[in-house]
Amino acid sequence: MSRPHCLTSLSKALPYLMLCILWLSPTAVNAQSLLDDLGQEELMVRPVSATFKDTRIINVQSNETPGANVLHFVIAHRFGQINEGAYALWGLDNASMRMAFDYGVTDRLSLSIARSTFQKTYEGSLKWRAIRQNSDNSIPLSLTLYTVSMINGLKWTDPTRENRFHHRMSYTHQAIFAKKWGPKLSLALIPSLTHRNLVEALDDSNDQWTISGGGRYKVSNRASINLEYHYALKGLPTTNVNSLSIGMDIETGGHVFQLHMTNSQGMFERAFLTETTGAWKDGAIYFGFNLSRVFDL
Amino acid sequence: MAASSAFSQKYMTREGTVKFFSSTPIEDIEATNNQATGLITDEGAFAFRVPVLAFRFEKALMEEHFNENYMESTLHPNGSFEGRITDWNQGLKDGMWHEVTAAGALIVHGVEQARTIPSKLMWNGIGWEIESNFKIAPADHSIPIPKLVRNKIATSLDVQIQAVLNPR
Repeated sequence: MSRPHCLTSLSKALPYLMLCILWLSPTAVNAQSLLDDLGQEELMVRPVSATFKDTRIINVQSNETPGANVLHFVIAHRFGQINEGAYALWGLDNASMRMAFDYGVTDRLSLSIARSTFQKTYEGSLKWRAIRQNSDNSIPLSLTLYTVSMINGLKWTDPTRENRFHHRMSYTHQAIFAKKWGPKLSLALIPSLTHRNLVEALDDSNDQWTISGGGRYKVSNRASINLEYHYALKGLPTTNVNSLSIGMDIETGGHVFQLHMTNSQGMFERAFLTETTGAWKDGAIYFGFNLSRVFDL
Repeated sequence: MAASSAFSQKYMTREGTVKFFSSTPIEDIEATNNQATGLITDEGAFAFRVPVLAFRFEKALMEEHFNENYMESTLHPNGSFEGRITDWNQGLKDGMWHEVTAAGALIVHGVEQARTIPSKLMWNGIGWEIESNFKIAPADHSIPIPKLVRNKIATSLDVQIQAVLNPR
């Protein structure tokens, strides 16, 4: 009973069997390129480069630091509010400036000093790339830690009060989680804690937690659209709002130009995270740029 | 014929050196890669593959720009050159350096060019030592150089290859 059944199934399978033999024949092997003979390519596992083009997305720090022995000089301007109208050339008559020197001690650690005209503020900061995303995503994201001390340099508004130097100081600590989702898209999520030693009103809190989202999308090899938003978790005084900025990076060799519109005039963390006053809907926004240049020392 | 090439002796390296130089009055750029894979048969057919991410530069930012802006190494992770030594003969195995001609398909940035490249090779008793100097023009491989940096990057790069290929 079973014999004829077996034969028929063999005859059915024969064409497939012949196909298999053809597939395995040496001629088929030789038709392949000699390149295939080089064997499996070893996957290059490297830290991903250029999650962001610069050390800042717009106002907020990105996960990037200057390379070892690289001095990164940034000069940044925020012009006046565009709703000042034609008389003030839509804000261009006034400018607030920040100068910063970032120095890469190693490929992971950088030190920075900066001075803003806004509140005559000095900054000293430290930035450390704790974790770097890998090209094969065995480490799926980067984590950079950033800490900055800010010194308000304005004359005391009330000289009769007991003013101490530490009253000028405030601090921001950040954990910058960043991920490059391919050649074009990179996103960052940044929790921050800002502490000020002196607050204005009795019931103001000295601490403010902020959660920030930022990203860039490359529109060409040398240009990208950038966006960032900062949300204050404890709420802000009624005069203040959350900061929203949109901008563009243009890279030209050793320079990066960042052009943007933002509702924050201050360019250091305490100012844009907690003291932003411009409202987008009223046109109370500032045009500005960051211009960076690297020097290999 | 088919059977003989399937079992012919092959010589191989996984640590071939590829260097390139770009020289302009404003800036010299140099990069080195020690991870080229190469293979040559004793009938004169060859294939080389170069992982783009393995080029090392003096300045970190140069390496970033090379991979991000010019070579687009996530899209095109390898360069390759595959072909045949056109003047191959058994007399090359005499232990002397010989000038030969390597003809084949050079792929850089995903763009293929048919190239004939003068090279030198020597039989060292065990395997082959090869050396080659030639030029690659970025424009030939659809790598545009923006006007702003055109005076810093040469229109034609000098490439040096050095490898020792041992029996596989």
